[in-house]
Amino acid sequence: MSRTALTLKVFALIVLNDVGDTIANLFMKKGLAETGIASVGLGNLAEFVVRNSSSPLLWLGILIYALNFFVWIVILYKVDLSIAMPVGSTSYIFVPIVAAVFLHERVSLLRWVAIFLIILGIHFVSQSKKGATDAA
Amino acid sequence: MPHDGMMRLVFLVLLSETLAAAGQVLMKRGANMAGAHNLRRIGAHIPFLRDVLSKPSLWLGFCAMTVSLVVWLIALAQGDLSLVFSLGSMQYILILILSRLFLNEEIDMMKVAGTLLVAFGIALMTIS
Repeated sequence: MSRTALTLKVFALIVLNDVGDTIANLFMKKGLAETGIASVGLGNLAEFVVRNSSSPLLWLGILIYALNFFVWIVILYKVDLSIAMPVGSTSYIFVPIVAAVFLHERVSLLRWVAIFLIILGIHFVSQSKKGATDAA
Repeated sequence: MPHDGMMRLVFLVLLSETLAAAGQVLMKRGANMAGAHNLRRIGAHIPFLRDVLSKPSLWLGFCAMTVSLVVWLIALAQGDLSLVFSLGSMQYILILILSRLFLNEEIDMMKVAGTLLVAFGIALMTIS
């Protein structure tokens, strides 16, 4: 039977990882925006760190990032990095959509075209027969 | 956004991406060094994590990713979220090359075509 290196289970793990990444970024962005420091340089880096360290949303984002780290290790154990990496770009599909809905950022037509190309690319990589680290 | 502010944002994101690419390769190296584990069994995950977390390569990769995250946070604080996200396309091509060179992964046409499409799609987001 012909099968691809990327199993449905690993694909589901990668999507879970990307959703976590998207939520973490959204929380971190919201947390950072609340502290009201618009520009960061060497001059106010200490103030930036101190002010942001009290942001619960930022910490929640970092916590999700940390949990995602373990999911990513399991993914890396199962498939090639050259598969996990491009397939792991589903964030680029979710983020503009989430940013449009929750942060009211605009999604242009060109961006929708880009989203389509990324989906097509992920489909191509998912068809590769090379890359299962594990025989399972 | 003023021009030099934009240049600084691009620099920060590229620095973060390069560190992340190196970190990914090192982490994958660490994961490859782990022994055989049947992860279909729920109980197998703890010994697996213990095994994989004992690999220095994984931690080196983790450190690179952590520095990358700090740089990323600094970039996020001053940029439009979707713009900051869309500058990452070069990382995909970089990782394709690095995984051939340092991880001996087999690269076929599907991987090349798919990765180029993904990278092009992300680059397109940068200008949209």
